[in-house]
Amino acid sequence: MTSRRLNLQGNQACALGAIAAGCRFFAGYPITPSSEIAETMSGELPRVGGTFVQMEDEIASMAAVIGASMGGVKAMTATSGPGFSLKQENLGYACGAEIPCVVVNVMRGGPSTGMPTRPAQGDIMQARWGTHGDHTVIVLAPASVAETYSETIRAFDLSERLRVPVVLLLDEVIGHLVETVELGTTATAATRKFATGPREEFQPYAVTEDLVPPMPRPGDGYRAHTTGLTHAPDGFPTQKPDEVRAAIGRLSDKLVLHRELIESWHSQAADDAEVMIVAIGITARAAQKAVDDLRAQGVRAGLFRPVTLWPFPEQALRDVVAKSGARAVIVPEMNQGQLVLEVERLLGRDLKVTGLNRFDGEPLSPADIAARVREELAP
Amino acid sequence: MSSRTSGPTNVLIVGVGGQGVIMVSKVLAQLCQNQGHQVKQSEVHGMAKRGGGVFSHVRFGAQVWSPTIPEGEADILVALEWAEGLRWINFMKPDSGIFIADCQRIVPPFACRDRGRGAEPAYAPQTPEEIMEQVSTGYAMDATGMAERLGNARAANTVLLGALSTALDFAPEAWLEVIEAFVPPRTVEINRNAFLEGRAWAMAGSKRVDETASGLHRHREVARHGPVNTVVEIIDEWCKGCDICVKMCPERCLRLDGRLVAELALPDLCTGCRMCELLCPDFAIRITNTAVTDAVTEAAQ
Amino acid sequence: MNMETEMNLQDRPFDINDYIRLNMMPHFLCPGCGHGIALRALLWAVHELGLDKDRLAVVSGIGCSGRLSAYVDANSFHTTHGRPLAFATGLALARPDLTVIVITGDGDSLAIGGNHLIHACRRNLNMTCLMLNNEIYGMTGGQVSPTTSADRYTTTTPAGNREPVFDACALAAAAGAGFVGREVTLQVTGLKDLIRKAIAHDGFSFVEVISDCTEIYGRKNDLGASPEMMLGQKAVMRPDTYRSTVDVPFRPNALKTGVLQQTDRPEYGSSYRAMVAARQRDSGEDR
Repeated sequence: MTSRRLNLQGNQACALGAIAAGCRFFAGYPITPSSEIAETMSGELPRVGGTFVQMEDEIASMAAVIGASMGGVKAMTATSGPGFSLKQENLGYACGAEIPCVVVNVMRGGPSTGMPTRPAQGDIMQARWGTHGDHTVIVLAPASVAETYSETIRAFDLSERLRVPVVLLLDEVIGHLVETVELGTTATAATRKFATGPREEFQPYAVTEDLVPPMPRPGDGYRAHTTGLTHAPDGFPTQKPDEVRAAIGRLSDKLVLHRELIESWHSQAADDAEVMIVAIGITARAAQKAVDDLRAQGVRAGLFRPVTLWPFPEQALRDVVAKSGARAVIVPEMNQGQLVLEVERLLGRDLKVTGLNRFDGEPLSPADIAARVREELAP
Repeated sequence: MSSRTSGPTNVLIVGVGGQGVIMVSKVLAQLCQNQGHQVKQSEVHGMAKRGGGVFSHVRFGAQVWSPTIPEGEADILVALEWAEGLRWINFMKPDSGIFIADCQRIVPPFACRDRGRGAEPAYAPQTPEEIMEQVSTGYAMDATGMAERLGNARAANTVLLGALSTALDFAPEAWLEVIEAFVPPRTVEINRNAFLEGRAWAMAGSKRVDETASGLHRHREVARHGPVNTVVEIIDEWCKGCDICVKMCPERCLRLDGRLVAELALPDLCTGCRMCELLCPDFAIRITNTAVTDAVTEAAQ
Repeated sequence: MNMETEMNLQDRPFDINDYIRLNMMPHFLCPGCGHGIALRALLWAVHELGLDKDRLAVVSGIGCSGRLSAYVDANSFHTTHGRPLAFATGLALARPDLTVIVITGDGDSLAIGGNHLIHACRRNLNMTCLMLNNEIYGMTGGQVSPTTSADRYTTTTPAGNREPVFDACALAAAAGAGFVGREVTLQVTGLKDLIRKAIAHDGFSFVEVISDCTEIYGRKNDLGASPEMMLGQKAVMRPDTYRSTVDVPFRPNALKTGVLQQTDRPEYGSSYRAMVAARQRDSGEDR
């Protein structure tokens, strides 16, 4: 099959990316502005022999996705702010029990019901820290419809390879944006390692070299136990300090070990940038235009765009900024300042890091960002 | 019976609940009344619904004073159930009493008081032959079997009425007239045949034991456990001393020891019923029942 | 356990040790907890149905009942509070080849998970939900639950419970569960038979097990030790086989036990898969 050129909405691209990645189970609950993902999945999944189910609530749809994944099937759910909040407990279960799954959050204005049809980027920190307790999660933040398609595939790939839930963080603009997309048919996602070998000595959470234990699949004869309680390598609950430390430690060590696989970022005109912009999602699209416009006017602005938002590509940002010799960093975002906290943590000791915040339900424009850069460079 | 001139004729009808003891006695009482006798009938059927004993006294003659038959005064004993017949046998006139019984065995619950696997029920052990030796006239019938072959086992009581009719001076047509008035219209034909068959069988002799009757031995054919060896294993480490097995054991053969762990205190009483095993929430009890095989049989195999 | 013995499992008389994880024993339940008896009845039914342990999935929530899945030698999933039915829905839809059994409690399924319960009943997806009703949140120390009887003392009803209770079976039946039944733990054989019927039923089966919490609930309410509690439970139950016998007017509060509802409503999974098959045929023709 050749690639297809299609006019697609971000939410539809997400659904098609999921199908291409081998997702065969979707559970969801209607919520603006993510409903198109569920709608598309409800039509597409049956065509490929998959299962769509609209559950009774957001919590149930997260649980059903984990349930399907525990059955060995690639699974996804999609939601927005209030629903994302409701999913957090079970998202934590997927973190702790290492159940692969993809959770799409199409961000809208908050807090609470907020502005369901207006864009925002207020869930950046929730995506990382939303569920209780020490946990690690991967968050991807595409900035175009095409990237939504490819990052959805990558979300499955990472989730399956590393047995970690992946949050695909869109914003309302990306979700509802219609663009011409070239759907590559070559991109595929890996399928998790299923347990093989002798059943007697099998340990569902054994410490392997890659720190990703092969997953037992029901019906394969391993008859393992899966629990949200902190568990030892045998899968059963433990409260022994050394076992607990090893179990919780491995969850984060796993992502550190596979950092290269996980991290993805783009830079634009960064090499000699005096001012570096760090942005994600639709704000990064505006920043791209701002950088182009500024460069055309001779202003040395650059852009660092993390596609993998969490774990944050720390070293890449440090390297890009160090190489550029930038003296200031601006972090535009559609909230009161979340991404800026991480950038400050990484660069704030040596550089001036400031935010550019908009939280009125309107996206930041290239002009907003360009003006802020000029302001920074003004004597 | 025609020689009987003084005092009432006493017929005692016994059985267990549901067999039709009352029906038999009502037929007899009605018939006697039709024939111009004074009749007194009394019955007890307290626990009949639960399979308990039922008996009915029918006394008829020129003049009857008391409704009940004194011990040793019954002219005829009609038993719808074998052991019930034996229970009342001392009510018969020692020399001249007539014994009419179905060999059907209905083993009552209390006959199973020894709940050990393979234990013999405490049912009357006497065989029909032994009983026939004790009476001058007797019929050990397979009334149930005969009725079954006619199409309805419930007509067994009418078979016995047929046998009873040979011992009393009433015309068969008079009997049938009353029977037909008592039974449901649909079963008139079967009851008529049952009466005639019972009558014919009893006419053939004054002491008969149904040779072909599966009657008395019917229940022996039911699969029965041989002697069983029960092993009770209690896993001390799993037992939490909740007391359920101790309290729920029908034989009260378990107790908690000093450490509050269940132990089998009275192994001889254990019947291997597995109640303790099934109700143990900690899976700490395991019962193994093994059939004790005959060493000789085993060796032969 | 070697393969040979496993293959012959169904031919042997039921031995619970064939179905539990021996390395996890003794289990963590308090002395006299009825949940252990319920677990035995479940595993006994599994044995009698000849189910393959490899294709058996036991999903549980949080609470005393939630811990039971860890003791079953099968694919076991100890999920989050109130959500086992939702997890199981995903699992059963994704893997129709599995026999899915959910073990939940009164708080787990009627309070925090109430929404999932009614929708699972409505959806009628093939799985069996075993709801162990001990009238209390035992794991957290004995707080009032949606099934705590009137006037009973709990750690959060120091003056006695004033809230009315849920009749879980009536709820499940009204919500459309294909199979609804109730039994007390004392009738372990009847419970086993009931669970057997529930698992065999094609659709969503809801079984309420009247269990006892002796240590926390019984003690606080002077209900006696486990044997007394079990006998007391049986005394207020009325087997469905009694129908409307004479004792009804004298025991108006008696709860019925046995099979309370069994319907032939279409099973959701198979009807969905039929639609999927039709869609796949159609898209095949398109090409």
